[in-house]
Amino acid sequence: MPDATATNVPPVIRTRGLCRSFAMGASTVRALRGVDLVIERGEYVAIMGPSGSGKSTLMNLIGCLDTPSEGEYWLNGQPVATLGEEELARVRNHEIGFVFQTFNLLARASAARNVELPLIYGGVPPAERRQRAIEALAQVDLADRMDHRPNQLSGGQRQRVSIARALVTRPALLLADEPTGNLDSKTSYEIMALFDKLHRDGNTIVVVTHERDIAEHAQRIVTIRDGVVASDEQNVPRPVGTETA
Amino acid sequence: MNIVESTRLAIESIWANRLRSFLTLLGVIIGIASIISTAAVINGLNHYVSEKLSNLGQGVFVVKRIGIITNRQDFLDAIRKNRRLTTADGKALVERCPSAAAVAWQAAVTRDVVREGLEIRDTSISGVTPAVLQIEPFDVDAGRVISQLEEDRAAPVAFVGADVVEQLFPNSDPIGKRIRVSGQPLEVIGVAAKKGSFLGFSQDNFVKIPYSLHRKMFGSWPSVDLSVQAADPARMQDTMDEVRAVLRARHHLRPAQPDDFSMVTAEGINDLWRSMTQTIFSIALFVVGISLVVGGIVIMNIMLVSVVERTREIGVRKAVGARQKDIVQQFLIEAVLLSCLGGLIGVLLALGAAELLGAYTPLPARFPPWAPPTAFVICTAIGVFFGISPAKKAASLDPIEALRAE
Ligand SMILES: Nc1ncnc2c1ncn2[C@@H]1O[C@H](COP(=O)(O)OP(=O)(O)O)[C@@H](O)[C@H]1O
Ligand SMILES: [Mg+2]
Repeated sequence: MPDATATNVPPVIRTRGLCRSFAMGASTVRALRGVDLVIERGEYVAIMGPSGSGKSTLMNLIGCLDTPSEGEYWLNGQPVATLGEEELARVRNHEIGFVFQTFNLLARASAARNVELPLIYGGVPPAERRQRAIEALAQVDLADRMDHRPNQLSGGQRQRVSIARALVTRPALLLADEPTGNLDSKTSYEIMALFDKLHRDGNTIVVVTHERDIAEHAQRIVTIRDGVVASDEQNVPRPVGTETA
Repeated sequence: MNIVESTRLAIESIWANRLRSFLTLLGVIIGIASIISTAAVINGLNHYVSEKLSNLGQGVFVVKRIGIITNRQDFLDAIRKNRRLTTADGKALVERCPSAAAVAWQAAVTRDVVREGLEIRDTSISGVTPAVLQIEPFDVDAGRVISQLEEDRAAPVAFVGADVVEQLFPNSDPIGKRIRVSGQPLEVIGVAAKKGSFLGFSQDNFVKIPYSLHRKMFGSWPSVDLSVQAADPARMQDTMDEVRAVLRARHHLRPAQPDDFSMVTAEGINDLWRSMTQTIFSIALFVVGISLVVGGIVIMNIMLVSVVERTREIGVRKAVGARQKDIVQQFLIEAVLLSCLGGLIGVLLALGAAELLGAYTPLPARFPPWAPPTAFVICTAIGVFFGISPAKKAASLDPIEALRAE
């Protein structure tokens, strides 16, 4: 789908001079120092870089979970800075699915209930909600675990629940911040296989990772260093199963 | 998101966090139960005093050698200075107080009463002129009160309280039967309706006999109480002034000297009650205040402890699309539901406590209708204040900040 640009569709993500600083007492940490990035519809992008380089900070800004200190961000052509609190909530609900390294599931709710959560805030009626949650769990091969609570699931299963939650509203953009960071390598490959499949189904995917093997799944690898884009290159993805474990 | 959905989320959250919810409830329950039980006791005491403690009706007052004394010094002074009141004082009032419709007198001693091997101890044996029983009327359960004829003849008859009947006539009709006081046989002619006990003192342990007989049995030594009924209840004060003037003259008091007797009115008893109990009540309120504070601290602690967890929860909810107002609505409903539940349990506990207090302690308890709503409002306010403000603060954060909460 690289021909999307030709038909005048705005890029899913476009940032210009994106900065984010954190006040740490007297000093400020400049986590991002001006990131320019364009990601088109249907792309599969890996963001790499050493620990502390600003990958998570960038993802949080792209996911509308955080507010930039400086710079501009257009999501599907719309300037995010102009969105109010409720519109931002709607964007997070409808347009973006976010997968966290630490899952961020509600500990006391079942898998199905966790997956339903975005639909509740999206105003989907209860019966349809349940149905779609079950479908999303089936998509990540967890239909048989829907009544389990997070602590009754393995790490990989938890991450799959959080992916199902990210997918359930059928967002155009799927963001994952080190989705395999807390998982063993076998489980990591299962998760990456899932992303590959989602990409083939037409989702735009951005994955943060600091592992080369994981990044090799993407079509494009963006490297961040010290809060700026250090390199941005196309990659010929290796099919799953050919990695050396 | 609509109210139904928010309520569902709130109930889900309450249920999912059962232990925390219960601990929060505990605070509300402690607060409500203690404030309402205390209020019930206070209310019960007040009611009892204003309705039952004195028989004094409109326009009636009693002149006593020693009135209602609230401290030791007054008591010692009264014992030393106040002259005994006598039947002569009473007769003087009859003659010289035109605004008094009736004057009666009585004197009392404490003795045991016996009948056929049964006994009741420390009974108040009072000799009354018949008018006393009209001025300070008793509800009569059976039989009749003492007549003028019996007074004139010093007849050995008795009008007795319910305790005397319970103790001496467990299974039989007392009317016409004999009891003995200090060796003197008395025929029971009437029984007063039961009044119950107050602060552990029974109001029903008494025997009333004609004053003339009492004088024969116990002499003229005990000071008498003079009961006076004003002809016009609205002008009782004038009658009291008249009585005071007559008694002062009889007792040869100079103008500068204080009265050597005291006058008790129903209002006076109520006033005295109020001044006596103010201290008790403020202590009670203090205790209740402490338990409310404890309840509040329990709630606050639970809320504060759970704020981190809840902040993360709020972060998760916001990350998947919850608006600020969805969060606030959910937490508000949660707080109010918890308070309602805690309030309900607290009210039920207090009802139970009031029943138990009434049954097993000398304290009368009476459930005050205003207490549940008041306590409920207080506890809801605590719940909302300690629950909502952190939630609201968290809800206004960027999702990532809420998620980062440690
Ligand atoms: N909330 C924060 N407060 C202060 N400093 C932060 C915060 N978040 C990130 N940083 C700092 O910003 C830099 C980039 O962090 P991050 O984006 O998490 O890096 P990465 O995900 O690439 O490992 C780091 O130096 C980190 O310490
Ligand atoms: Mg990171």
